[in-house]
Amino acid sequence: MAVLEIKDLKKSFGKNEVLKGISFCVQKGQTVAIIGSSGSGKSTLLRCATNLEKADSGSIAYNGEYLVLDIDGQQKYAQKEELSKIRSNFGLVFQNFNLFPHLSVMQNIIEAPVNVKKMSKAEAEKKARELLSQMGLSDKENAYPCELSGGQQQRVAIARALALDPEVLFFDEPTSALDPELTGEVLAVIRKLADKNMTMVIVTHEMAFARDVASHVIFMDKGVIAEEGEPKEVFYNPKSQRLQDFLHSASL
Amino acid sequence: MKKIFAILMAAAMMLTCFVGCKGKEFEKDSEYIADKGTLIVGITDFAPMDYKDEDGNWIGFDAEMATKFAKSLGVEVEFLVLADWGKKIMELNDKQVDCVWNGMTLNEEVLNGMETSKPYCKNKQVVVLKKDIADKYTTKESLKTLKFAVEEGSAGEDQAVANDWDYVALAAQSDALKEVAAGTSQASVIDLLMADAMIGEGTDYPTLTKSVALTEEDYGVGFRKGSDLAEKLNDFFKKCYDDGSLMELAEKYNIKDTMIAW
Amino acid sequence: MFETVFKALMEGFGESLKIFALTLIGALPLGLIIAFGSMSKFSPLKYFTRAIVWIIRGTPLMLQLIIIFYGPGLILGTNIWGIGSKGRFIAVIVAFVLNYGCYFSEIYRGGIEGISQGQYEAGQVLGMNKGQIFFRIVLPQVFKRIIPPMSNEIITLVKDTSLARVIGVYELIHFGEAFIKSNGLIWPLFFTGVFYLVFSGILTLLFGYIEKKLNYYRV
Repeated sequence: MAVLEIKDLKKSFGKNEVLKGISFCVQKGQTVAIIGSSGSGKSTLLRCATNLEKADSGSIAYNGEYLVLDIDGQQKYAQKEELSKIRSNFGLVFQNFNLFPHLSVMQNIIEAPVNVKKMSKAEAEKKARELLSQMGLSDKENAYPCELSGGQQQRVAIARALALDPEVLFFDEPTSALDPELTGEVLAVIRKLADKNMTMVIVTHEMAFARDVASHVIFMDKGVIAEEGEPKEVFYNPKSQRLQDFLHSASL
Repeated sequence: MKKIFAILMAAAMMLTCFVGCKGKEFEKDSEYIADKGTLIVGITDFAPMDYKDEDGNWIGFDAEMATKFAKSLGVEVEFLVLADWGKKIMELNDKQVDCVWNGMTLNEEVLNGMETSKPYCKNKQVVVLKKDIADKYTTKESLKTLKFAVEEGSAGEDQAVANDWDYVALAAQSDALKEVAAGTSQASVIDLLMADAMIGEGTDYPTLTKSVALTEEDYGVGFRKGSDLAEKLNDFFKKCYDDGSLMELAEKYNIKDTMIAW
Repeated sequence: MFETVFKALMEGFGESLKIFALTLIGALPLGLIIAFGSMSKFSPLKYFTRAIVWIIRGTPLMLQLIIIFYGPGLILGTNIWGIGSKGRFIAVIVAFVLNYGCYFSEIYRGGIEGISQGQYEAGQVLGMNKGQIFFRIVLPQVFKRIIPPMSNEIITLVKDTSLARVIGVYELIHFGEAFIKSNGLIWPLFFTGVFYLVFSGILTLLFGYIEKKLNYYRV
């Protein structure tokens, strides 16, 4: 069974139809990269999948449990307990990190495990330290976000998302807000997660990274999936003109 | 240390300025008035002595007399409403006003703090309360249980203190009336003259009525301590009394009975 | 003489402090409730609340005191405050709490609306519920943001307590003025300024200290 299954997802903002029927599956251990030009609907897709936006139609299921199900054109969303159970399946890393500025690195990471998952503080801290060492930030647990570089902040944000043991982790352009010299450290961390077979869906503008790390690449254009496949196929043998143009302009 | 010294110096200079920047010094108050060309009369809105007509001009017995007096001195008259009746002596000494001419009771505070004219009018302090309870309070003794509102520093407050009444002091007689009308106080002590003008049928306070009258008191005009204008005013009052213009004016404002013969 | 004056002024200052403290106790939580009302998605409630805030902020506190205290008796014909000094004091507190509640609400609203959407979303994808997001994520950041405008308002409150005497509640200024009338002394009135200065000075230091304490993070 697919970890994530999206069927015919549609979403409009006013008259502007941003998603025009998106369907795809993510299997366990897969690293899916979503590429496409700005305004192609990549971020909206991610926001619908993570329940930050409500879909107009279509369905989204995690491990066969529906976050939203389309029943004869009516959107039926999961409620309360069901919803929080489904929500525990995924994590999201934002473009702008969105760390809590008033909490230290450690407090940022254990906030949800302690208060949402009701984990004991000691246990949560132990886990947080493991994650921080994976991220190469062991010395920063008492620092506050404003004391960290963008790359460090993003790595903390990844640790914060991982602390809840999500089955699938979404990244919304995780390096777009970073200075070029800081993107490498964040990409390296994501690459390590991919090596460990963490299931991930990554919206990114880093073409080389998508090509090297992803097991599956989705090219979105004007609200639809225009082309998808293995990285080699997509990058070296693009079939559609639009993908060719896009790759050309991304000057890979 | 230097900074503190500088601050102290600045403060000292400002103080000297407050005290010292009075401008020219005059031997007599009348010379000071003549020099600046205006007589500033401190008043409160108090019918029938000082109040405004429909065009916004100050009229009333005191207002008209003050205008005439200024004319006799050869200066312009100017009226200034005292924001706080309780600070009238301070206003005089600060030269914010040159006299206080507003149905002012000649009580101890006034006599000590000002140079006053001879009394020109006899007034009474009168208790004001709501009509519907008026029957129950017809003697001074019966008033003991009431809560009073009075103007702070007024003759009415003196009465409240002298009789050991429970009272609250407010900024003006009109505030005291407001208290009684609103029911937040049960009675007030105000000038009879004002009571006649402001309460009863046809006024904003139709539910209020006069009750017991208290001590009589004299009205006079107050100048700065040592001012020669007080004597000048006495002469002016006498002149007006003799030529009949004073009583004529009293007639106009319906206060003839309260006038004192000169 | 100084001792007599000082004692009398202390009594007046005690009354001013009481108004100050009770106003804060009432207005700080009331302001939050009003802020929620003015941010409500239910638009009748939103516009009703905003109209109230507009009226209260758009008219002088002195007028509000007079209307709240005398209004029931003069307009409705039933004095709800009784005839003792207790009723006067309660009326003062009601007027002050309402007035400052409205001012505080606008400060809260500015603080809450200044928190980025990303903070709410981060809480949401971590599975936190609305209450947790508000109290654990939003409110602490709002608190830091609003310290400077709040300290302004609170210091204004110290001085506004002097308005209470309009309806016959004897506070510090009243006691100062009493000496002009009874003893012909003017300096006690001027000396009341020292009380206000010292108290607002202490508050300024206190707020400076809190601001410094919260300097460890930026929002």
